[in-house]
Amino acid sequence: MTGFAQGLLSALLRDAHLMAPQLFLMTVATLMLWPGDLFFNRNEKHKWAPITLVILAITAVLVTRVPDGEGFSRMFRMDGLTRGFQMLCLLGAAGTVALSVRLLDSLKQQTVEYYALILFSLAGMLFLCGASDLISVYFSIELMAICIYILVAYLRDRATSVEAGMKYFLLGAFSSGILVYGISLIYGAAGGVTTNLADLNLALALTPTTSNLLVYTGVLMVLVGMAFKVAAVPFHMWSPDAYEGAPTPITAFMATAPKAAAMAAFLRVFGTGFHGVSSEWVLPLSYVAGASMILGNVAAVRQESMKRLLAYSSIAHVGYMLLGVLSGDPKAGAQAVWLYMLIYIVMNTGAFAVVIYLQGKGEGERIEDFKGLGRKHPVLAFAMMVFLLSLAGIPPLVGFFGKFYLFKLAIEQGFVTLTVIALLTSAVSAYYYLGVVKEMYFKEPEGEAAPMGAAQVFIVTLACALVLVGTAFGPWLLDWADKIFWV
Amino acid sequence: MVSLNAVLLVSFLLFSIGIIGVLIRRNALVILMCVELMLNAANLNFIAFARHSGSASGQAFALLVMGFAAAEVAVGLALVVALYRKRDTVQVDDINLLKG
Repeated sequence: MTGFAQGLLSALLRDAHLMAPQLFLMTVATLMLWPGDLFFNRNEKHKWAPITLVILAITAVLVTRVPDGEGFSRMFRMDGLTRGFQMLCLLGAAGTVALSVRLLDSLKQQTVEYYALILFSLAGMLFLCGASDLISVYFSIELMAICIYILVAYLRDRATSVEAGMKYFLLGAFSSGILVYGISLIYGAAGGVTTNLADLNLALALTPTTSNLLVYTGVLMVLVGMAFKVAAVPFHMWSPDAYEGAPTPITAFMATAPKAAAMAAFLRVFGTGFHGVSSEWVLPLSYVAGASMILGNVAAVRQESMKRLLAYSSIAHVGYMLLGVLSGDPKAGAQAVWLYMLIYIVMNTGAFAVVIYLQGKGEGERIEDFKGLGRKHPVLAFAMMVFLLSLAGIPPLVGFFGKFYLFKLAIEQGFVTLTVIALLTSAVSAYYYLGVVKEMYFKEPEGEAAPMGAAQVFIVTLACALVLVGTAFGPWLLDWADKIFWV
Repeated sequence: MVSLNAVLLVSFLLFSIGIIGVLIRRNALVILMCVELMLNAANLNFIAFARHSGSASGQAFALLVMGFAAAEVAVGLALVVALYRKRDTVQVDDINLLKG
């Protein structure tokens, strides 16, 4: 028995360096819950936010230090794609934590659990970015999602928050069931010996024709399960409700970090694992992508709540990013999606920072609340305009370059119809984004201006500066992405 | 020995009952149980395929999936309790403050 324990321990330690960032995050988050929580009394809980930011910075350094490699029975793989998307998740989480402080203070809802749950969920995302086995994909998704269910229902004395958590949970659990069943079918179709993505790619190509149905059903079920997680149409029903009911920083979180991790999983599962059987999934996935672009953008037009508008816009953005998955070119597709996601996270965090700032004064939920913002807060309104126009992809703003690289790739790979749909729906999206800009600049303001919190000013300024700087360097962004993460 | 096809048929039936249950039952607790059925159908598949091929990995996956199902139920029940305190109901049709 001791021999077994020693063998287990040495097997775990041999590859532990590959997941140093996740191990660090989980250890620290556990220590934060106990004994860390004893050090701060009820009124000092907000101090956990800067501590969490420091933890995130250390994790980012660790991510850059981890060498390439594969470990844990080839369940986890560290390479350029993993590292790049892990950095995106960290960026999204850092934005969320910085945005949370003031809002939670004003609600008197500061707890250590909030920050610890963000860290646990982040650990799940970091696992997901590098998951190279269908089983580890499933477990990482669960670790990430279970923490987010709780965070969505965090304001438990608010009916809307609990309701949003409940809806998200029920649909999330349902989609996990479909995902696992799909994985079990693929496991069987590949001969019942492996779920490793690289092996599956070879095994599925060799499957006898009798198990074609197994492969087809399995691949489709995995597609459905993962489409639920990124909220792609027609599996998006939970997302507008969950976005609206969740505390706004968590809405920003859901729109950024988990999406980045899930897109990384999408790229790896469909780009590596199911590459050989692409004839089975290209058509369904392109329907999903097209439907997400159309429905996301069209439904956003008639929204009155800002959070719902951003929810539908994020559905549409997922549709665009799926173009990169479809492209079938693992490296170029991953880079284009990565760049798009980076730009999207910066723009979206900035837009949510503005919403949260207005919410601090009891407004900002509705689009009407942006009325006359241009008079009351010229700087804030300008920043919001930059974010919205960039989200719409209007040149020369940086959002345009993200779209440009993706669409160019899609055309090169022959997805002309989808690209035309993407272009047309981008034009629709400009309509509702400009609707908000119109509210800000062409309507008379109501009420008085109020000073802003330091963290919000910082985030808004930083995000706005990044978008503008990115704009100036747009044409070179893809080359840089190539140099930084794919050496 | 029971044939692989028989086990697959049982697991498919379990999965179908689970899916239909999630779609037609309106009680959050019953929906949770149906999700469990779906996960257990997958477990059955894993074990059947592992037995068939003689590799142990599928059996390990089934154990792991059971662990995650337990964690999921713990969070789910906590949410149901929170919802019941707030709204005095566990019927999903009554959860309608947010319009989807």
